[in-house]
Amino acid sequence: MLVVWGAGTYTFIYFFPRLLYNRVENTVVNHGLGGSDSTGIPVNTVYTMPALASPTRSNSLQSTGNRDTLYTAGVLDLSKGPQVLHVPDMAGRYYAVQFTDPWGTVFAYVGRRTTGTKAGDYLISGPGWHGRIPKGITKQIVAPNNTVLLIGRTLVKGEGDLAAAYELARQIRVTPLSQWHRDQ
Amino acid sequence: MSQAFPSLTLSRVLIIVLDVLLGMFVGAVLAFVTALLLITAQVHAMQTTVNGWSITMTCGKVTNGILVRAACAEALPMVNLPEEATYWTATEDGSGQELTGRHTYVLHFPPGGLPPNSAFWSLTATNIQGRLVANPFNRYSVGDRSGLVANPDDSIDIYIQHGVPAGHEANWLPVPTGNFKLWLRVYQPGAAILSGKYHVPPVMEVH
Repeated sequence: MLVVWGAGTYTFIYFFPRLLYNRVENTVVNHGLGGSDSTGIPVNTVYTMPALASPTRSNSLQSTGNRDTLYTAGVLDLSKGPQVLHVPDMAGRYYAVQFTDPWGTVFAYVGRRTTGTKAGDYLISGPGWHGRIPKGITKQIVAPNNTVLLIGRTLVKGEGDLAAAYELARQIRVTPLSQWHRDQ
Repeated sequence: MSQAFPSLTLSRVLIIVLDVLLGMFVGAVLAFVTALLLITAQVHAMQTTVNGWSITMTCGKVTNGILVRAACAEALPMVNLPEEATYWTATEDGSGQELTGRHTYVLHFPPGGLPPNSAFWSLTATNIQGRLVANPFNRYSVGDRSGLVANPDDSIDIYIQHGVPAGHEANWLPVPTGNFKLWLRVYQPGAAILSGKYHVPPVMEVH
């Protein structure tokens, strides 16, 4: 009993984040961000919500009333090869794309603080990928796991800026490296 | 006699097997409960509260141990690293009383006392569950983009209350009638925040 108690406690604590992130990733893929009735975001694609949180619209992942940024989200599966994240020229606007592994570790960012706001194409590769990096790739990001949760946040400067912010945020997208061409 | 002996052995074996199974079951239940207790304790341990404002700045880091990792997954899944954004929440005023829309409050930032950042900041009110509550003015947050008006001495007062504060509409954060929760978000926070030196001023009830 004591052995099961001790080992069980450790095992539960150890795997708890993995179970939780697994559920989050499944929610994103099957139901997206908009609640149980919305459509999912297929693996290796990203989706940007066109509106901020409001009393009638709150995303399913976190209900925290974020009135500052538009969310972009998606789940990457790098087991079949890398993906390329494209970000448009944000012209100084705050944005960040956060990369989280299935244990909850935030292993990289692309965005105003870390890479600046110029347009770029970031190669996201899984562990053990040693292919050739094509010309035109801004930077390589090596993920510690083939499953990656991607969350983007793009600043909305006010009511009148929503359309402009969305127009930029929706240009954040991913393409498999095998289908990616420079300046596409 | 010759028939009773084997059935006695069998029942002894059964009892031992049942004991072992029961032990494993009790162990597993205890493990589950212990793990949840440890995770909950860690959620509280990694949170710092000053002036009624709570903040956790440990989540998402690659160096986190398994207990911190589990507590972060439980309390703050998908949260930004602190260098990207810091989040304070408050459900109590500066004197430890629950925040409620039945009272009126002021959050006073002394001159130069707004949260240091190189991106933006905002203050939002939600219900206790974290949901925005509709108000007829469609106003849900104040911050660097909301046109806050400074006092003559450059300090800033934010009026946190359910009804309109006459003459202070620009600095008004509407709140629900019941208990509420405040969220202070600071993106690309300054060094004073990351070092823990900066403290958000207390939310003070106005009598």
